[in-house]
Amino acid sequence: MAVAELTTAGGALAAPRRRRTRAAASRIAGGLAVLITILLLSSFITYSLGALSNSNPAATILGQDAATPAAVAHLDHVLGLDKPLPVQYGNWLSQAVRGNLGVSYFTQIPVSQSIAQRLPVDLSIAIGAIILAVLIGGTAGTVAAVRRGGWADRGVTLACSAVSTLPAFVVGIILVVAFAVGAHVLPANGYTGPSAGIGPWLAHILLPSLALALPVAADVARQLRTSLVSVLEQNYITGARVRGLPYRRILIRHALRNAAGPALTILGNDFPLMLAGAVAAEAVFSLPGLGQLLLESAQTRDIPVVQGVLLVVSTFVIVINLLVNTALGLLYRSADGVGV
Amino acid sequence: MTRVTRRTPGSSVLRLPSARIAVAILAVIVFLAIFGSTLAPQSPLAIDAGALYRGPSPHHLLGTDYLGRDVLSRLMAGTRLSVLTAFEAVGIGLVIGAPLGVATVFLGRWFDFSANRVADALMTLPSIFFAVAVTAALGNGLVQAMLPVGILLAPVFFRVSRAATLEFSRAQYVEAAELLGGSKLHVIRVHVLRKVLPTIAVTTATAAAGALLAVSFLTFLGIGVQPPTPTWGGVLSSDLDYLNLAPWAPFIPGALIAITVGALNALADAYRDRAGAGELHSPVTDPVIKTHSTLQALEAADDRQTAA
Repeated sequence: MAVAELTTAGGALAAPRRRRTRAAASRIAGGLAVLITILLLSSFITYSLGALSNSNPAATILGQDAATPAAVAHLDHVLGLDKPLPVQYGNWLSQAVRGNLGVSYFTQIPVSQSIAQRLPVDLSIAIGAIILAVLIGGTAGTVAAVRRGGWADRGVTLACSAVSTLPAFVVGIILVVAFAVGAHVLPANGYTGPSAGIGPWLAHILLPSLALALPVAADVARQLRTSLVSVLEQNYITGARVRGLPYRRILIRHALRNAAGPALTILGNDFPLMLAGAVAAEAVFSLPGLGQLLLESAQTRDIPVVQGVLLVVSTFVIVINLLVNTALGLLYRSADGVGV
Repeated sequence: MTRVTRRTPGSSVLRLPSARIAVAILAVIVFLAIFGSTLAPQSPLAIDAGALYRGPSPHHLLGTDYLGRDVLSRLMAGTRLSVLTAFEAVGIGLVIGAPLGVATVFLGRWFDFSANRVADALMTLPSIFFAVAVTAALGNGLVQAMLPVGILLAPVFFRVSRAATLEFSRAQYVEAAELLGGSKLHVIRVHVLRKVLPTIAVTTATAAAGALLAVSFLTFLGIGVQPPTPTWGGVLSSDLDYLNLAPWAPFIPGALIAITVGALNALADAYRDRAGAGELHSPVTDPVIKTHSTLQALEAADDRQTAA
């Protein structure tokens, strides 16, 4: 990075910048090509689930009494279920791209509407969890690396392995017992939107976010400790110390900046894990989120809802992963120089 | 170095105390899976209205639940279903993923490219969501629910065995074997596969830990089991409704799950440590979508440092 800055400062302004823009554009274009292929594949898998179930949706909707063969055939035609699978998939996908995921077999509520209703719950706890994971994991990892071999390091390492052994839902239960049942500080369950006031909203999402954040924070801390320890042994850190720069400044501006890459990658890769954790958090804290929607619709075999939720969730994961990887690629242009 | 290679890996792993403890714990779990329901001190379904939410006592070693049922008996009887379905998922992943991962290296670039894209797509599907969705399609059962978990474990086996095979298939002795006229199948079987197997073994242990977590979580959510049937996750979720009355109760099934998962992970770690850097291809945590970033987890580097 420093080399590039020097050349731009040196006078040859336009050429390197153009080259850099072109490199970034090709990166993003390549990423988009991969993204679209993967999205198509995973959405096809998602749609095939409906065909896999040998349940007869038309008969289910009509109920046992009204399900005459003629009525079933008519409804199959209306729902488009009499066409071959690739055609059905094409129709479903072209509607899905326009935001229409069909209607629930049982409630007749549009799937996109029920998803839009539930999504804010998961987004609040997921964003809360990312912030907490960065704060907790970042602090713990830095402290452990700076005090390498000391009691703080040993404590962090022990806590990390304890947390990553525990399943997310057990972590959630421990938090409920500690903060809600034991100390009565925070509400143990339920959700109120931010429209009802920021305070109650934060109080309701804090424990679920924390339950979600702790396993990720453990990963981040472990990774950050590893890379920070090796960065702190580099010559340029010694150089900066010899020059008499304050240690805090060396740590933050010189060491952490270079050591953060792998930890950020972990954060991006743990995102699918976080979604699984969100289902756990919803179950433990009885939050009305996407996971609960999926569970309910799976029990009633409401296939359009199941497909819709799965499509939205996997699209989220794919897009976030691509964004993280592209951002990291742009941030650390010489990727193999990071950390080590 | 040569002495290490001559020793069979299994026996050298057992020299580590952590591996011995892990194997002992896993042996107990397997024993419980086979004989748990017969050896249970009381019936896991017997309701005793006079002894609700009892703490551990000589009569009920791990206490009783909200219906007065013996928790120890319920956990012992629930072991078999949890362990068997975890095996199911790992087996599916291993059988699909590992052979494809080894084969893809020798089947040409086009096959390799498409297999990798399929693996990418599968890895983006969050396994729990997928498992719940499949029970909607195939019917509500734990065996059905673990099928997708197994399929989603396949890309993990695929990636790891592919990476290991790639590494060893470029070795000079493989080239030499090929030049000496060994057929492709012979070279793969004798020279490559033998080197790749330890890596797959480590992945199997890690995957088993993941599968066990998935089973406990699915049963915790109530997927695939009818209520009176005892399962590890089921005991946990019923305890959750009575936290005010018995706040310590969830920690017993929670600890059981954590100890088993921890033992599997410890075994994998021991194997990895013991085999050394050159012997075993370290399964680096791959980014879900490999685009351009070549950042890699530094865990392996740290392990080497602490060992030195």
